[in-house]
Formats: sequence, structure tokens, C-alpha cells
Amino acid sequence: MSGLKREGDTVQRLDALRGTTPPRPHDARAIAALAANPGCTRRALMDGAGVDKDAAARHLGFPAPFGQSPFAITRGNVFESLVKADGCAELLRMLRELLGLPIAEVAYHDVENVGAHLRHAHTRALIDRAARDAQDAGTLYDHPLLTLQIAGHTAYLEPDVVAFQLGGRFHIVEIKSFAVIDGQADPAAVAAAARQAAVYVLALRTLLEDLGHDPLKVSHEVVLVCPENFANRPVATLVDVRRQLAVLRRQLTRMTTLDRLLADLPDDLTFDLRPGEDGRPTRPVAELADALHRTTARYAPDCLSTCDLCFFCRDEARQEGASDLLGRQVRDELGGVASVAEALGLADGVRDPAEGQEEIARLLRNAERLRRECLT
Amino acid sequence: MSDRLDDLERRIDALRAGVRKAMRDRDGAAARVLRAELRSAERDWDALVSGEQPKAAPEPPPLVTVREQVHQGLRLLGATAQPRLIVAVSEAFLGGTIRSAQLTSLRRDEERSFRSSPYGRPYYLCAALTDRLSPGRGLLALSSWPLERRVVGPLSPRVDFLTCAIAVASQKSEDERAARLLGRMARNIPGASSGALGPPHPERVIEAARAELAVHAERDTRDRAELARRAAAQLDDAARLFGAATLSTIKKEYVT
Repeated sequence: MSGLKREGDTVQRLDALRGTTPPRPHDARAIAALAANPGCTRRALMDGAGVDKDAAARHLGFPAPFGQSPFAITRGNVFESLVKADGCAELLRMLRELLGLPIAEVAYHDVENVGAHLRHAHTRALIDRAARDAQDAGTLYDHPLLTLQIAGHTAYLEPDVVAFQLGGRFHIVEIKSFAVIDGQADPAAVAAAARQAAVYVLALRTLLEDLGHDPLKVSHEVVLVCPENFANRPVATLVDVRRQLAVLRRQLTRMTTLDRLLADLPDDLTFDLRPGEDGRPTRPVAELADALHRTTARYAPDCLSTCDLCFFCRDEARQEGASDLLGRQVRDELGGVASVAEALGLADGVRDPAEGQEEIARLLRNAERLRRECLT
Repeated sequence: MSDRLDDLERRIDALRAGVRKAMRDRDGAAARVLRAELRSAERDWDALVSGEQPKAAPEPPPLVTVREQVHQGLRLLGATAQPRLIVAVSEAFLGGTIRSAQLTSLRRDEERSFRSSPYGRPYYLCAALTDRLSPGRGLLALSSWPLERRVVGPLSPRVDFLTCAIAVASQKSEDERAARLLGRMARNIPGASSGALGPPHPERVIEAARAELAVHAERDTRDRAELARRAAAQLDDAARLFGAATLSTIKKEYVT
């Protein structure tokens, strides 16, 4: 009983936090972005409440330059249709080379053939059949529709393809149009693709578990397909997403146990934009900014590629002179030193190291000495 | 000769002034007409000064309709295919001029025509039918084919791809685009490309495609026969060609 009540309280509290706007549905990109910065309380709260972060950032005067360019979208679509052309002929070749898919395994199901609103049910039925009798099942499932529960809301996800391999395991195939050059790709882009694929792996595992199958039938290795060496020829690589899965799972449980985070908040706190009749936010900017400042954010430069609020948090971090600005690696090395001013003070000896800071102070002084020697 | 050039130059000057004036008067229609004349005068001037005869229109309008070109492409391939492949085949072997975008509304037009006067045309460009007897997305077929060839089971996309590859490899053509198309298809058939650079050998492609086809043929033929039987039993004439409506389309029809 008390559990139920608590849950109701949380929902109410989250609704209050969001205010008068309807909750914003999550897509795979947004869920993947959650895993990018798991320690950020501000983000966990806003996502848990389904606040439209983009609208909030715009209203605060820190709009994030998100949304892909039409060229990138067209390029992505063209590449995807190239990989999937003629019953996924290119994809079959790559899966044969990469996973040793047998010649006989070519069965192709286009889930989209059933019409939009039946897609999830059809995906479920097809995956169930495939997991039940691996012998006669399909190999490739195109346009499947998976679901994932995010803080009480259902998010619908569309992986590029789910490939089914004879070994009785499902593999998620993720088609991306960033280039692989001499076997190297942009690490940030690969990481983002891996996070997104991890969302699909988790959704498919949840689906299998719901149907009473072993969730581990979904491989933690995803097939990433990218164009190779400036040509449009696709090439496939296996990417291990176990780490991303673990982070994602932790983040999702964290979102469901939001009450702990909520308990620390003042009762009157809300991120409501108070949209007027025309849908434009009417809340004073300073008031909203103040509300946001009352939650702690963990800004890192990676946020710039994933979070709508990035510019707002960066500005905040700058004003505080926080060492977060310099990236996670630097921040971790400056363990125990919270602000840039403090670090500088330690380096030129103006400030005495507090207890436990002796080691870092020594390193900083050394660095300062080296810098001075280089400059003179 | 130079008299004519002088005449043309005067005419070009006059036309340029005319365009400027029309723009000032915000008379878009007149400006367009004058610009077209200006361009043709400039072309004449270019031709005259370099001693060439002015060319006719750069590309003669195609004598064969888009519909007929798609028909020819599909007949050549002999199996259900995606518009992209049809366009490539039509370009490589039939001197085709279709662009993919022109194919988008084609199937709907065909269906409309069939419904208003059934069997009024010798052939229709129709949909491939999926295992749910709905129209397969982005797959075209010919109404003159037997039902077995127009339905697609789970293995059919691959079987049709291999069939198309054999058809492409059997065509004789000196066109570079034909070699490229064959190369692209051969890459996705195990054992078809020799690994060396350069276009693959057609015989080798045919052999490799036949070898893989043999693996899938039996089960695919069985699936397709079963589907065709169901389609013949359950669907009316129009649905047999263009697919049974999916639930969402039914809903839409009821709403309007």
C-alpha cells in the first residue's frame, strides 16, 4: 500500500516538475543520450518528467544547434536504402563475411508490410516465432518496431534491421552513414552509434523476456554498417555494446527510482514553461533559470553532442569556473579540485593545499614550473 | 557572316534591356519570355562565332513513355524488382531515361486505371504481394506474369535478386553502365566475382547465381505456390494485382 502511495507521489511530483505541458516521448536517440552522461541529476529529472528540454533551452536563450542537416539526412537515407536494396543483398554479403551466415539463410521479412499501427504486434509475433523454432524462421527483419518503458512511458523504437542468425541469436544491425577510412572511424560517432544500438539490444531483450524466451538470445555484439574509404561501398564491423548496455540499464533504473532524487528537491520547484494560448512559454526566464540552478548538473564537453541543455550548463559551469569544462579526463585527474581558480591557485602556490590535496598540488606546481621553463 | 553576328549582338542588347525593363516593372511573365529569347539568341551567337550549326534541343523527348520503359525493364529482369534496379537496367540496356522519382506515383495510377476500366490495357505495372497478401513496399511486378511469380515469400527477395542477376549477366552490352551494374550485383553473390579488378565474367556470375539459387529454389517455389493459391482463393481481380488493403488503408477509406 505504502509502495503504491509512494509511486503515486512520484508521478505527481514529476507531473508538477513538468508543469502544464504534455510529456515528451523518448526516441532512441534521446534514450541513447541518457547513457552518455549518467551522473547528471538535472538531466535525469528532466527526462524522467518528460520535460521538453529543447523548448526550455530555447526559452532560456541557449538554443542547441541540434537536428541534422537535410543533406546529412538524405545521405543517410540513400546509404540505408543502398544497403537494404534487393532484399538486403549487400547486408547478406557482409553478414556472410562477418558472421559466417550460411548461404541458405536469406529469408527476409519486411515488418512494415502490415501497416503502421500493427507493426509492433507483428514484430512481436515474428520474433516470437523466430525464437520458438529457429529452424524455419526468418533471417532478416526489416523495419521492426520495438518498445521500451522509460519512467512509466512507452517509447517506440525503430532499429534499422534486426538480423537473425542460425546460431539462434539475434543481432541488431545499425546502418550509419559516417565513413570508415582505412579501418578507422570517428570515435565519437562510433560511440554514439553503439549507445543507440544498445538501446535496441535492450528493447529486444525486454521483448524476448516478455515472451518467455531467454533474453540473452540477443547478442551484445551489434553489426555496424558504414561506408568505406570515401566510396559508397558499405562495410560491416562488430561492435561490443556490453558497457553501453550496463550504463543504459543503470540509467533507466535510476530514472525509475527518481524518488530519491526528488526527495532532495524543494517542494515548490518546477520546470514549467507555462505556455500561453499560442504555446509560447510565458514564464520569466530568470525564474526558470533559477529553478534549473537548484538542481545539480554534471557538465562535460560531450554534452554538446547529446543534450539540448548543453549551452545552458556550459554557461553555468563557466560562471562557476568549474573544472568540468575541461573534459572528463582532466576533471578526473584534478580529483578533489573543483574549480579552475582553485587549480591555478594551487599551481602558483597562492593557495595552500587542503588535506588530501598535497599530491595534486605537487603535480600542478610541477606542471606550472615546466610551463614557465618552456615559455622563457 | 559578320553581318549576322552584328545583328545578333544588337538583338541580344535589345533583349537584355527588355529583361531589365520587365524586371523593373515587376512583370515576371514578360521577363521569362524575354529571357528565353535571350538565351536562344546567345546560343545562336555562340554557334555562329564558333562556326557550328545551332543544335536542336539537347535531349529529344523520349519516344517511349515511362510506363513502357518500366515494362521493358521488368520484362528483361523477369522477376519482381525495386524501382532502383529497374532504372539501372533500363539505362544500361534499353537506353532508358527514367528517373526513380517518376516511378513513385506509377503504381497508384495503374491501380486507378484498372479500377475504372478493368483489363482495359494489355498489361499493368502492379505490386508484388507479400505473405499477408498486401502490396509489398517498393516492389514492382507485371500483371502478365503468373501469380506465382508476383507473390513474395520470405526467401523470394533473394531468389528474385539472383534471377535478376542472371538476366543482367545474359544481356550482351558494351555499355560501361551495364558492366558496373553487373559488377555491383556480382559482389553480393558468393563466388561470382573473381576477386581481380575489372568487370566480372558474365558466365561466372550466371554459374554462381544458379548455384545459390539451387539452395533456395525448392522452398521458395513451395512458399510461392501456397501464397498464390491463397491469393487466388481470397482476393478479387483488383486486389490480386495491386494487393489487399492493409488495415490502415481500410480505416482511411472509411473515414473519408
